[in-house]
Amino acid sequence: MKEFDISKLKGMFDAVAENITAHADELCEMDAKMGDGDLGLTMKKGFSALPGLLDEIQEENFGKKIAKAGMKMSSVVPSTMGTLMSSGLMNAGKAISDLSTMDANGLLRYLEAFAEGIAKRGKCARGDRTVLDSVSAAAEKLKAALEADPSMEIGAAAAVALQGAEEGTEETRNMEPKFGKAAVHKAAAAGQRDQGACAGLYMIEGMANYLQKI
Amino acid sequence: MKKILNKPESYTDDMLKGIYAAHSEVKYAADDLRCYCTAKKVPGKVAIITGGGTGHLPLFLGYVGEGLLDGCGVGSVFQSPSAEQIYEISKEVEAGAGILYLYGNYTGDIMNFDMAAEMCDMDDIQTMSLVGADDVNSGAPEVRRGVAGIFYMYKAAGAKAAMMGSLEEVYNAAKKAGDNARTVGFALTPCIIPEIGKPNFTLEENEMAMGMGIHGEPGIWNGPIKTAAEIAEESLNTLLGDMPVAEGEEVSVLINGLGATSVEEQYILCGNVLDILHSKGIKTSHVYVGEYATSMEMAGASITICKLDDELKSYLDYPVKTPFIRMN
Repeated sequence: MKEFDISKLKGMFDAVAENITAHADELCEMDAKMGDGDLGLTMKKGFSALPGLLDEIQEENFGKKIAKAGMKMSSVVPSTMGTLMSSGLMNAGKAISDLSTMDANGLLRYLEAFAEGIAKRGKCARGDRTVLDSVSAAAEKLKAALEADPSMEIGAAAAVALQGAEEGTEETRNMEPKFGKAAVHKAAAAGQRDQGACAGLYMIEGMANYLQKI
Repeated sequence: MKKILNKPESYTDDMLKGIYAAHSEVKYAADDLRCYCTAKKVPGKVAIITGGGTGHLPLFLGYVGEGLLDGCGVGSVFQSPSAEQIYEISKEVEAGAGILYLYGNYTGDIMNFDMAAEMCDMDDIQTMSLVGADDVNSGAPEVRRGVAGIFYMYKAAGAKAAMMGSLEEVYNAAKKAGDNARTVGFALTPCIIPEIGKPNFTLEENEMAMGMGIHGEPGIWNGPIKTAAEIAEESLNTLLGDMPVAEGEEVSVLINGLGATSVEEQYILCGNVLDILHSKGIKTSHVYVGEYATSMEMAGASITICKLDDELKSYLDYPVKTPFIRMN
């Protein structure tokens, strides 16, 4: 049984930072068409800081360690997207704070709670054309897959979640923006993937890149 | 910009260094100047934490002290403190009876206090949250900004906590004060955020802005300046229209200067406000005049009324002593 425990935490978030960094320019370009143009920078700054924050925090419980790092990340990137991602991390960490290792079911709990954290802080729902549309879709797809195959390994589970995130991001092409500056750029948004959803997708892709290798 | 400072970017931290150097009854937690705490922890007492941007002294940190609050997250000028800072303050001042987060109704502050509350929950520290939303001209009740009226909430919560009330009782005391307090504010001149170096809005020489917020949020009208009596009348019409006060009922009045308005002017306004209230048969007691919630060097003032009963009076009568505020 492949296990994900506290010793692998930094490796996973290194992989997330790497993937977000690789897509930072693309996220900035997407964002510039809809509003600010700093989304890629925010995501890169926040997620690049995360592995270092995890190192700093003295905490044995890996869920609490993620939550605390998430809170610290919000000080690094105090923008709306930074706050939403931090809230996701905090809620996700909290949701798995009773676990000492994370398996496929733990990953599902993590993703569901991550989405719930964003929804609660951002007061947004699925279909509002936000980061939630990729993260929630990842959790939904994984949930259905785990019901069909409860013994799924974490690497396979991460691949399913990534596929869900990809599908959820694709669906945002047909969604109308309700929040932020994007809401005043409805015409520009039509037919395009939502940049926030893409940010969530690249985060999950980073996680999957790592989890499929352990 | 003409201000006494060293570097615009160190405005907040240099101010804090001055306060800590002058007043040994306050200290900072987590090696972070912006985690402002009382040095005197009372075991078993509900801790009360507030927070908000710099630029409003004595709001927010000036209310930390005996009979009032226990900690304050200090943000940069007009910026929220971080969730991490609020969490660090929480761990420092928590004294076994839970924490009340009591702050103004601003989006950034709400997000950061909520995040800190979630972190406390993980550490089994109980928190409750309440926002001040007293600025009548800033919209419907649930979206109203918090301004000087939070004074009454601080006073009620602080007194109840000092009387060793439970977290729920302290929350209820603050809520009762907030439910009975309403504020109208108006600005005559803007203020300058040091790091920006320019005024945050402009008003002509003879103009005033009715309903302007303490960060320069637009009000309900800009126009030629009115007399003190006219301002008092319009403000009270707004206040009493939003919260009716019957003949024979009693209110406390808070005339608050925004930073650059003289105490003399504040008393001129106060006289007009009390005249109008008395002419309507409304009794007044506990009248406060001075600076309670400012906007750096903005000229202007706010008028708050708080409907009183014996319970709220007992909170207002409770002695307080902080580096910025002494009463009784």
